Amino acid sequence: MIMAETRAKTEEHASCLDTLARNPLYVGLAIGILAALMQVLLISAGGPEAYGFCVACHTRDVVNDAVNSFAGTKLAIAAISQNAILPVMTVIGVLIGAFTSAKYYQEFKTKTGKPVSYVWYLLGGLFFMIFALFMGGCPYRIGLRIGYGDVVALIGLVAIVAGVLVGIKIATAMAEREE
Amino acid sequence: MVASGWLSRDTAIIAVPIVTLLFGILIGWLGQRSGFCSIGGFRDFFMFKHTRLLYGYLALIGGAFAGYLVFWLITPSAFENFFWLIGKGLMPVPGAPANLTVAAYIVLAIIGGIAVGLIGVLLGGCPLRQVVMTSEGNIKSLCFVIGMCIGAVVFAAWVSGWGVALLKGLGIA
Repeated sequence: MIMAETRAKTEEHASCLDTLARNPLYVGLAIGILAALMQVLLISAGGPEAYGFCVACHTRDVVNDAVNSFAGTKLAIAAISQNAILPVMTVIGVLIGAFTSAKYYQEFKTKTGKPVSYVWYLLGGLFFMIFALFMGGCPYRIGLRIGYGDVVALIGLVAIVAGVLVGIKIATAMAEREE
Repeated sequence: MVASGWLSRDTAIIAVPIVTLLFGILIGWLGQRSGFCSIGGFRDFFMFKHTRLLYGYLALIGGAFAGYLVFWLITPSAFENFFWLIGKGLMPVPGAPANLTVAAYIVLAIIGGIAVGLIGVLLGGCPLRQVVMTSEGNIKSLCFVIGMCIGAVVFAAWVSGWGVALLKGLGIA
């Protein structure tokens, strides 16, 4: 009886936490605060600042560090990843965390597409990375840099919004042509 | 002055992969539950006037600012140049190719931003969303992530240098 009650309470507690986790507002707050916490914990290992969370740059650090180790190249990575025993593992963590969550809530489902779409996504990822690195970060690091007081990042965000508007126009035109 | 945080340098260089892995797992879990997406936020707002995801991205900027402010008050040495604009002016936080002029960084931010927004909308999500969808079993997103990995090497090995040379040739950098 007591056990059943305790279990019911834990489930209620878990679903309450899940309600928070399902709301992007709290998730955004959490990512921003975690990024600041990462800097205050780890900045002694090296810069740059406002580097707590970035999908593009952190992927770059992992990939280029691996290539440097195996091929003996000297591809650029951030100082923090250069100095530490291993580079920043955020993106590997995201893969693990999202996979665990998808499995736990039974939302994992293999979704395939047409072979030609794979080529488009591959090229899209390639060019996305190149342009993000020219800008100095993906939209997340741009957000962190705005929070840190970087005006160029704010210009970058305005450009992202402009790109989104152009993308919507193109997507709408393409959808209309197909109809 | 060398920036110093809560962990000493010797501890921090060991803690970097562990702490970032744990933070990543948490962010991945939250990202999977919420469908968090930065570019998707703007897309949903402009197409359907949905504000759910957009508020999430704005909360990220607000949360980052609040976090930086609070931790800066506790440990100023970890945030040498906070608030960036006051100390460093228009020069951006390092990340883009180094040693360029402010004008060049603004040009890169505009070109990069437009391309990032455009690609993100056409392929249905920002990089975080693509990584999360990869973990949910989406093969197209997996291709996007593999493309990002190739892009990282291509950028560092060639394109970064070409871009800088072009900017210098045009007299901007």
